[in-house]
Amino acid sequence: MTTLTHAPASSRPIPNPKKSLITRLHMGTGMVVGIIFCWGTYFAMKAGRDMTDSHNVNKVLLASMMMWSFGFLVGIGALIGPFRWLIGKDLTAEEQLYLAGDGQGVKRYFKYCTDHKVVGIQYLVGVMTMLGAGGTMAMMIRTNLATPGSHFVNPNVYNSLVGLHGITMIIALIIVSTGPFGNYIMPIMIGAADMAFPRLNALSWWVLFTAIPVLCSAWFLGGIPTGWTAYAPLSDQAGPGMNAFLATIIIFALSTAVAGANITTTVIAMRAKGMKWNRVPIFVIGATISVALAVPAFPTFMVAMIQTAMDRTIATGFYDPNVGGSGWLYANLFWIMGHPEVYVILIPGVAALMEIAPVFVRKPLFSYNAAIAGFAGIAGLSILVWAHHMYMSGWMPALNGPFMVTTEFISVPTGLLFLVLIGTLWRGKPWMKLPMLSVYAFIWDFLIGGITGIYLSDVPADNYLHGSMYVTAHFHYTLMGAALTGAIGGLAYWFPKMTGRMLNERGGYISFWLVQIGFNVLFLGMFLAGAEGQPRRVADYAHLFAHANLISTIGAYSVGIGMLTLLWAIIHSARSGVVAPMNPWGAKTLEWTVPYPVPLVNFDTPPVVTSDPYGYGRSAK
Amino acid sequence: MVNHEEEVLAPTPGQRVGTFSKRKDVKRTFWLWLFFTIVFCVLGRLAYPHWMPPVLSKEMQGNEDIMIWFTVISAPIAGIVLAVAMESFLNMHRGDTPPEEGVAIRTNTPVVIIWTAGSVFFCIVAIVWGLVVMNTDATKAAADSATSLTVDVTGAQWNWSFFYPAQNIHTHTLNLPVDRPVTFNVISDDVNHSFWPVQLGVKVDANRLATTVIHATPTKVGVLDVKCAELCGLYHAYMETSGQVQTSADFTSWVSSIQATGGVQQ
Repeated sequence: MTTLTHAPASSRPIPNPKKSLITRLHMGTGMVVGIIFCWGTYFAMKAGRDMTDSHNVNKVLLASMMMWSFGFLVGIGALIGPFRWLIGKDLTAEEQLYLAGDGQGVKRYFKYCTDHKVVGIQYLVGVMTMLGAGGTMAMMIRTNLATPGSHFVNPNVYNSLVGLHGITMIIALIIVSTGPFGNYIMPIMIGAADMAFPRLNALSWWVLFTAIPVLCSAWFLGGIPTGWTAYAPLSDQAGPGMNAFLATIIIFALSTAVAGANITTTVIAMRAKGMKWNRVPIFVIGATISVALAVPAFPTFMVAMIQTAMDRTIATGFYDPNVGGSGWLYANLFWIMGHPEVYVILIPGVAALMEIAPVFVRKPLFSYNAAIAGFAGIAGLSILVWAHHMYMSGWMPALNGPFMVTTEFISVPTGLLFLVLIGTLWRGKPWMKLPMLSVYAFIWDFLIGGITGIYLSDVPADNYLHGSMYVTAHFHYTLMGAALTGAIGGLAYWFPKMTGRMLNERGGYISFWLVQIGFNVLFLGMFLAGAEGQPRRVADYAHLFAHANLISTIGAYSVGIGMLTLLWAIIHSARSGVVAPMNPWGAKTLEWTVPYPVPLVNFDTPPVVTSDPYGYGRSAK
Repeated sequence: MVNHEEEVLAPTPGQRVGTFSKRKDVKRTFWLWLFFTIVFCVLGRLAYPHWMPPVLSKEMQGNEDIMIWFTVISAPIAGIVLAVAMESFLNMHRGDTPPEEGVAIRTNTPVVIIWTAGSVFFCIVAIVWGLVVMNTDATKAAADSATSLTVDVTGAQWNWSFFYPAQNIHTHTLNLPVDRPVTFNVISDDVNHSFWPVQLGVKVDANRLATTVIHATPTKVGVLDVKCAELCGLYHAYMETSGQVQTSADFTSWVSSIQATGGVQQ
C-alpha cells in the first residue's frame, strides 16, 4: 500500500518571460526553418554537381534531409538552451517554466514543451498516426494479395509498400508503450515531479517527429524496394527513396538514444522516498529494461545505415562484394540490433499487462521476482541470438548450432512471463473490463507466436520455413498480437488518467473482438500459406496459395474495421466520454493518487512509499 | 466435541494434494488442460502433413517430423497456459464495481521451480533434436560427397539457372535423380537471392561472389518448385522455376536430350 506524507505545497512564479524568443517559437516556425534549411542545402549542394550520377543525388538528398531535421530543431527552439550554455548562461527560471507549458492550453502540444505529460500525449498521437499509416499500407498489401494475379498495385509499388509498412510499424511499435505511457505515466508511477532531463525529453519527441516527413518523402522519391531489412547489395541498387529510409533510421536512433538515457536515469535517480527496487511497479521495470536494451542495440543499426549511406554516396564499398565488401557484414550489424529490438518492443507491452492483471483480478502479481527474472533473462539472451536470422545466409554455418542453443533457451525466461500471468489469474475472478480482455488476448496470441518461434529457431525446420509467410505470421503474432495488444490494454487502462475520461466501453468491446478475431483469421491463414510453401514479400503467388491468402485478406479487413472503431472510440471518449473518477479501477500505484488534470509537478506533496503496489487479496484458506 | 490438537496440525503433503485435486476449479482446469493438449496434438499430427507440400527428400521428412513432434511436445505446456487462462475467464466478474478480493498468492516457489525446470527440459529436448538432425545431415553429406550429383545454381534478377558439371549441361529447370545425394553450389550474379527447392526442404542464400553449399537426398519421384525466398527487387515474386525428381533412367534420358542440343536446355 502506498501512503502520502504532507509537505508544504510548492509556490512557483507565474511564467511570463516577456520578449523571450522562446515564446515565439512553435511547430510552425520549426517547419519553416526546417524547410528553408532543407531546400537551401539542396540548391547549394546541387549547384555544380553532375546530378545524373546517383552518388551525387544521394549526397544531396541525404544532406538535405538531415538539414531539415536540424533546421526544424533550430526553428522550434530546441537549441536555445544549449546555445545559452555555450555563452555561459542558461534559461531563466521563467523561461523554464514557460517551456513546461504551464497554463498554455492546447498550444503547448505544438511547442517544445518539457512537461512529460505533454510529451506523452505527443507520443500517443504520433504513434496512432504511424499505426494508421502503417495499417493503411497493410490493407493495400492484403488487397493486392487477395487473389493471385491481382494488379491492385504494380510490383514496384508493392515492394515499396512492404518496406514502408515494415519500417513504419517497427518504429511505431518500438515507441508504442514507452512513448505514451513511459513518458506520461511512468514518472508519476515512481513519484517523480518530472523526468530527469525534461529538455531531452522534449528533444527525443521532436527529433522523432522530424523523421516522419523524411520517411514520407520516400514515397515520392521512388519508394523503398528493399523491405525494412534493406539488405545490401539490394540497397546499393535502390533509387533515391532509399536515402529517406537511411536518414529516418539515423534520426530515429538519435531519438531513442536520448529517450533511453532519460528514462533509465529517471527510474534510477528519481523514485519516491521508500520506493526500493522491490517496490517499483512492474511496468516501470519492464519499460526500463526495454529502453536500457535499446541503448546498446540501436547504435549498430545506425552504423549499418551510415555505412550504407557511405556506400551510396562516396562508394566506400563496405557491403559491395564487387570491391571486397560483404553483405554479411550488413546482415550481422542489422540483426545485432534486430533481435534485441523485438524484445525492446515486446517487454513494455507485457509489463503493461502485468500491471493490469493484479488490479482486475484483485490478487497480487504472482512472483514479482520471476517477472523480473523473465525480463532480465530475455534482455540478456536477446543480444546473443541475432544470427538465427542468418541460418540460411551461408555466413558461418558452423555457428548455426550455438545460435540455435541460445535462441531456444530464450523460451525459458519467456515461459516465466506466462507463469507470472497465469499465476496471477489462478483462482481469480477477473473484472472483465477492456484492459483485462487484452491480458487474455495476449496469452493466446503470444502463445501461438512463442511456439511457432521454437520451430523457427530450430535449424532443420528453418531450412523449410525461413523466408516464407510462416515467418511473417510468427512475428506478427509476437509484435502485433503481444506488444500492440499490450499497448492497447495499457491505453484502455491509463486512458482515464491521460484524458480525464473513460474509454467508451461499447466501442472498445466491438473493436476488441473485430481486431482479435480478424487478427487470428489473418495470421492463421498466413501460417497456412507459409506451410504450403509461399515465400514472403511476394507481390503475386501461385493458385495453390489462393485460399490461404483470401482468408488472410478477409481477416485483415476485420482488423482494419476494428482499428477504425477503436480510433472512433478514442476520439469520441477523449472529447465527450464519461468523466473519470481519480481512481476508476481501484488500483494501488501512485498515478491513481493524483487528480486529472495532473498538476505540473505531479504531486503537491512528495509521496512516500511503504510497500509494493500489489497488496491485493485475502489470506488463502 | 472438537479436537483442537488435530485442528492445529499442518496437513501432510499427501493431504494437501488430496484436497487440491478435489477442488472444483482444479478439476475444471484439468479437463480444460486435457482438451487443449489433445487439440494441439491432433492439429500438429494432422495439419502439418496436410498443409506442407509432398515430401520428396529425407531432409523434408526431417523438417515435417520436427513440425509435428515439436507441436506434440509443446502441447501439454500450452495446454496448462490455456487451461488456467480459460478457467479464470469463465469465472469472470462483470459490472461496474470491482470483484471481491482474490486469494493473496504472492508466489509459490515449488511451482516456479517446476515450471522453470519443465521449460529447460523442453528446451534441451528441442536443442538435442535439432543438433542430432543437423549432425546426421552433415555426416551423411560428407559420406556421400564422392557419389553425389553436383549442381551449380546461379541466381540472377530474376531467374534461376543450373549447370551440371559432370554432365556438362546448362538448364533452367531443376531435374534430379531419385535416391542419389545431390550437392548444390549456389551463387548470385547480382543481389542476394535464396535458393529454395520447396519439396526438398532445403534452402540457402545465393550471394554475390561467395558460393554457398547445401545437400539433399531426393527420396521420391515428383514435381519440384524452385522459388526465391529473399526479396531481390522488382520481380522477386516471379523468380521461380520448376523441375522434377525422376527415376535414374528418366534422368539419364533427360540429360541425354539436353546434351543432344548442345548442352543447353531449350
